[in-house]
Amino acid sequence: MKSVKKHSLANKIIYLSLAFLLFLSFSISAQSGDYDKGKQLYNANCAACHKLDKKLIGPALANVADRRSKEWLHSWIKDNNALRASGDADAKALFEEFNGMPMMQFPQFSTQDIDDILTYTSGKPKEGTQKANVAKVDPMVVAGKKLFQANCAACHKLDKKLIGPALANVADRRSKEWLHAWITDNNALRASGDADAKALFEEFNGMPMMPFPQFSAADIDNILAYTSAGDTKKVTAVAAKDDNLAKPKASTAWMSILISLVLLGLIIWIFVKSNNGFLKIVATIFLLFGAAYIGFGALFQVGIDTGYQPIQPIQFSHKIHAGDNKINCQYCHSSAKNSKTSGIPTLNVCMNCHKNISDYNGPVTSDKDKAFYDGEIQKIYDAIGWDKDNVKYIEGYKQKPVKWVRIHNLADFAYFNHSQHVTVAGLACQKCHGPVQTMEEVRQYSKLTMGWCLDCHKKTEVNMKNNGYYKNIHAQLSKKYGVEKVTVAQMGGQECGKCHY
Amino acid sequence: MASNKKYWRSVEELKSDSPVVEQLMQKEFEEEIPTDAFLGDKESLSNSSTSRRDFLKYVGFSTAAASLAACQGPVVKSIPYVVKPDNIIPGVANYYASTMADGTDFANILVKVREGRPIKIEPNKMAGNWGATPARVQASVLSLYDNNRLRGPLAGGKTTSWSALDNKVAATLNQLKEKNEKIVILTGTTASPSSDKVIADFAKAYGNVEHVNYDALSECAALSAFDAMYGMRALPNYKFENADVIVSVGADFLGDWQGGQYNAAYAKGRAPKKGKMSRHIQFESNLSLTGANADKRLPLKPSEQVYALINLYNAVTGSSLTSKKTAADAAVKQAAKQLKKAGKNAVVVTGIQNKDAQILANAINVALGSVVFDATSPRFVKAGNNKQVKALLKEMNAGKVGALFIYNANPSYTLADAKSFNTALKKVKLSVAFTMSQDETALNTQFVATTPHYLESWGDTNFQAGQYGLMQPTIKPLFNTRQFEGSLLTWMDSNADYHQYIKDNWKGSILNGSTWNSALHDGIFTHDVKVKLSNTKLDVQASATALLKATKSAAFELKLYSKTSLGDGKQANNPWLQELPDPITRTTWDNYLTMSIADAKALDINNWNVSNGALNGDKVTVKVNNTVLKDVPVLIQPGQAKGSVGLALGYGRAAGMQDEMMTGLNAFALSFDFNTAQTVSIEKTSGTHEFACVQLQHTIMGRDEIIKETTLNDFINKPKEAWNETPEFSLNHQEVPAERVDLWEKFDDTIGPHFNLSIDLATCTGCATCIVACHAENNVPVVGKHEIRVSRDMHWLRIDRYYTSDMTNEKAKEEGVFGTGEMFNSMTHPQENPQVAFQPVMCQHCNHAPCETVCPVAATSHSRQGQNHMAYNRCIGTRYCANNCPYRVRRFNWFKYANNSEFDFNMNNDLSKMVLNPDVVVRSRGVMEKCSMCIQKTQLSILTAKKEGRPVSDDEFETACSSACPTGAMVFGDVNDKKSEVAELTKDERTFHLLAEIGTKPNVMYHLKVRNTKES
Repeated sequence: MKSVKKHSLANKIIYLSLAFLLFLSFSISAQSGDYDKGKQLYNANCAACHKLDKKLIGPALANVADRRSKEWLHSWIKDNNALRASGDADAKALFEEFNGMPMMQFPQFSTQDIDDILTYTSGKPKEGTQKANVAKVDPMVVAGKKLFQANCAACHKLDKKLIGPALANVADRRSKEWLHAWITDNNALRASGDADAKALFEEFNGMPMMPFPQFSAADIDNILAYTSAGDTKKVTAVAAKDDNLAKPKASTAWMSILISLVLLGLIIWIFVKSNNGFLKIVATIFLLFGAAYIGFGALFQVGIDTGYQPIQPIQFSHKIHAGDNKINCQYCHSSAKNSKTSGIPTLNVCMNCHKNISDYNGPVTSDKDKAFYDGEIQKIYDAIGWDKDNVKYIEGYKQKPVKWVRIHNLADFAYFNHSQHVTVAGLACQKCHGPVQTMEEVRQYSKLTMGWCLDCHKKTEVNMKNNGYYKNIHAQLSKKYGVEKVTVAQMGGQECGKCHY
Repeated sequence: MASNKKYWRSVEELKSDSPVVEQLMQKEFEEEIPTDAFLGDKESLSNSSTSRRDFLKYVGFSTAAASLAACQGPVVKSIPYVVKPDNIIPGVANYYASTMADGTDFANILVKVREGRPIKIEPNKMAGNWGATPARVQASVLSLYDNNRLRGPLAGGKTTSWSALDNKVAATLNQLKEKNEKIVILTGTTASPSSDKVIADFAKAYGNVEHVNYDALSECAALSAFDAMYGMRALPNYKFENADVIVSVGADFLGDWQGGQYNAAYAKGRAPKKGKMSRHIQFESNLSLTGANADKRLPLKPSEQVYALINLYNAVTGSSLTSKKTAADAAVKQAAKQLKKAGKNAVVVTGIQNKDAQILANAINVALGSVVFDATSPRFVKAGNNKQVKALLKEMNAGKVGALFIYNANPSYTLADAKSFNTALKKVKLSVAFTMSQDETALNTQFVATTPHYLESWGDTNFQAGQYGLMQPTIKPLFNTRQFEGSLLTWMDSNADYHQYIKDNWKGSILNGSTWNSALHDGIFTHDVKVKLSNTKLDVQASATALLKATKSAAFELKLYSKTSLGDGKQANNPWLQELPDPITRTTWDNYLTMSIADAKALDINNWNVSNGALNGDKVTVKVNNTVLKDVPVLIQPGQAKGSVGLALGYGRAAGMQDEMMTGLNAFALSFDFNTAQTVSIEKTSGTHEFACVQLQHTIMGRDEIIKETTLNDFINKPKEAWNETPEFSLNHQEVPAERVDLWEKFDDTIGPHFNLSIDLATCTGCATCIVACHAENNVPVVGKHEIRVSRDMHWLRIDRYYTSDMTNEKAKEEGVFGTGEMFNSMTHPQENPQVAFQPVMCQHCNHAPCETVCPVAATSHSRQGQNHMAYNRCIGTRYCANNCPYRVRRFNWFKYANNSEFDFNMNNDLSKMVLNPDVVVRSRGVMEKCSMCIQKTQLSILTAKKEGRPVSDDEFETACSSACPTGAMVFGDVNDKKSEVAELTKDERTFHLLAEIGTKPNVMYHLKVRNTKES
């Protein structure tokens, strides 16, 4: 019959397109791992909790591919909860080993992504991909740099006056003997009546330098070698990593666009070409449901600002601070452990370090060079009134508070307390804020919707160990529910009034 | 089959040519539909070029535009400190001990400060009775953020700088000093040793300086009487906790009498312990808060109170001073008998503003050997000397006063002849007002040296012998202000900073070896002092004679009184206080003449309820001497003594005020000779006044399941079932306690804390502290007079006041009117002198809450901690819950009360909004709200315990109301902690639940009131 024939044709098209898509996805996953891409992915997603050589929050990952099967690793990384739920013994054991702290799930990773990461953890870069660029460095300079940073850097910089004078090429300005005598015991040198020593002392307003009698002559030579050689400029080619990161996402988006296009084309074809009434009804229903689904979904996205990344008055890089320099989150966000707010650090906290660090020496990119970062640091000084040349606060300066743009805007009617989650539950900041240490500019990582809160409250087991508050409550609750572990929801963390008042 | 009968609605229809019938047939509704209200006037509407289609287009476009605009979230700025102060953690409150002493209210307090902003006043429990925070003290934090405060000093009504003001003042002062002209410093009671010392130093520097104390609510009579007897201008202290029998003749000692703060001590004797409680007999004209709490109350006009006092003296001491008969003589004799029986545990207090009356009362106490009357630790919270004020006025008029400094007083408002004061003020060469706002006095002085609020100031106090307090700033001064003492120090050319001055003074003469820091931390410093008192033999006979001579009686006598809310009007610009219902009349935003039922009938004055339940009343003209107050509304007050009327002070302020707060009439204009009792003539005038009451002036018609009370006799001698019946239901044809009958499955609430609030009606004095505390803690909006009138008040906590009626079921049966309309009618109306009961009611947090089951969106739900939750963001405003609540405790946001110029109160300007509690959301329009049992406080206690890793203890849990309650009538805690106070209270014999028979199983429990009706 005519209609049946048409029907089967439509089916064929659908099947064909699905098969094509399936093939496409397989063909993508068939590629082998890329070390560099893996490294980037690893640093962006894994490094917050894992190191290669050491246990951090999670286990050390070097050569993990040798210890576990590839399939197991793939399913674990994509959704470790599901793997555990499926009853996998290894997964359960691993979970127990790390005190029941669940790993984040990475459903967004493609098979290729995971392969890349595993390639990186195996440390077997493909030949020719490792861009080794190790300049030959004098061992004296290396030793000197180490000593300089440990002992001198608090007061001296190479290129700039800090508390003491700039030290670059100091060996050219003073005699070696004089420098040795001065560094070992500058007080004795002054007492001996040395005119240079006295003049230097006067120049810095009579602030004496610490004596370093513990330095051997070789140590001092090493330091001087370093001051003469200066820092070797790192030629760091930071590849356009943003593009690389965007790729896996783009590939899935491309696929879904393709599917929708195919389906849309199919429907249009049905309406235009077909005169099968049944098919038209089916297509209409499909279209209506599709529109309703998309419309409803779109409405639910209203007010969800995931990815919100406003332009801040100072382009503060969490990557540089929390990532590269590994500053603890709570060093700056110090009220998170005590208060409902995590607290935006006040400028006096910035100045704890930036009194000494007035210029940026880290890796740069094409659009953000050293001058850019130095300019951002200068903004702190402009706000608080710091004279970096004379290394002191400007008296009577009218301070200008920094007007940050708030990223995480919880509605007023929802009460959230950081200290509950940070101090009591011991959650890592990354759990909600994502891999902040990799973000050049912070963006909203989580949805911050009620469903998102409750999902976690339902899943998360309360860590009751070593907390006197839970002692009796735990005994009673575990009896009531007949389980050893109790979730936040079972504790009452799902009651409206706990967060809405 | 259809009937062919004709029905008609009115006789008019029978007339065939009646125009009315024709008109009615054409119209669906008899009255015009009030479309004008929202469509403007008809003419312009019909002339409008906007067609219906256009209108719909506009509606469509604006809806679409609004929804599109809503998709874009606003950009919110977060601005941290540049340099964070060490002791501030954003989001964590700090508490500072301080002291309030504004001349009217005196209390040692704790101030809750969030991010440098004081947001709540809490009692300082270390300070004993002085640590209580009455309603006005609780509300004072909002006065800090009063938008009508002056921003800086004024000269001749214009803004000036401090240096300009200092130069001018110093120049004039030096001229005066050269000519040795008199400088007068007129202050309200400061009760501050350092302030007094600064004034003394100033006097030394300028020579001819006089310090005059002036209190608007004067206790000059009591001060003079104490002075005459003991050689010291102070007030005796009364230890009501030791009293077995209290007889008060016109003393409102639970109100502002002698500086107040007697609630806690009084309440200690009011709950029966081991079958004993105090007996309180009150003779008074107005029904005061104190009278409402009395076991026996006798209404007497002010003049009769004088005779009753002399008669009481005669009866107690057996003397025979000349007096007159009163209607209450039998009761006086009875009272005297009980006083004598109680001996040293009896006390007599009086509020009659006459030195001789005070001497008589003191003499009775001395004769009884009363241990309640304590002259050895006198109070210094009132210092006003009316004689000196009168002399000052005379001198001012004579041009003998060179300079007048006015601090903590507003004589242009509080003096009866304010006009002549203002004229006299013009004759003074230099007049400076030290005030926070441009009040009536500030308008008439040359300079205004603007002072900071007490929460921005340093200060010290000495409320009572040996009881010192410190006042410390809890916020940087908001405006360009300078403390009164600071100004005096500047004008003395002293470089001393007042903070340092106090410190030095304390180290030198008060601390006695103790450290300043610990005193500042505690906010108080106490040490035992022996006050040296001389004992003068008194001529009681002479006093009585003088008293009789001074007493004038008339057909109508006026007694001026101060309300719980406004007091003397210092904080009249405070919307929380304006909206605080009077505990007795339950009326807000007003003062009015209170009149007895009989007098109102005689003068044909009525109060009536209009169709929406609001109260209207007639107006009268009141005349005292030659001063006339026109259009005074009359509120018929059960319990008012026949032949007397009452009028509240503190209203009718007109300067330095927001328009909305200028309510009522200035009764100070009638307080001639500083006396609160006046003879008066009253005349009915035309016109109707609209009151804003939050409760009808009726009784509960014998429905004793709402509020239960019993007599001490029954309480001791009868079994519990006789006076606190447990409601019973029939289950399987057997009567069982209602507790056991249940439609619901029990919710397991045994794990973790389960909160209960206990309210003891025996010790609750109805003082209204809890209402303001709740207001401040929970960001409860102020709605204004009109909204109150249409029953849309937002108080989460109310104190119901019930009157008794002399019609009972038994009496009706005797009279043969049982079950008739007549019975019910007279049951609803209170008797001439009713008994009064107070009952604080807030959300009862029912374990089986009727509201929860009817909410269509599950916005209100139950928690295992016993609190009934209300998720505002989930509420869609159906109001089903409010309709299903048997306790009427849910409040609906009819309007947006924040950022709305229609409700221009504390949530409509940036300054006043600083008082809001950041931990509690400000509700938006269209949602229901109610008491949360201060879940933000209980959650905080739990979190603190979790963070410190220890079990949470019962005594960490407080609600705003229970913490503020000065008498300890409210106890909050965890009933799962079997050792807690509240768990003990659940087992008490007096415990009952409100409307227990409906089986809601509330988590709020009451303890029934016991009246000591023993006559012997």
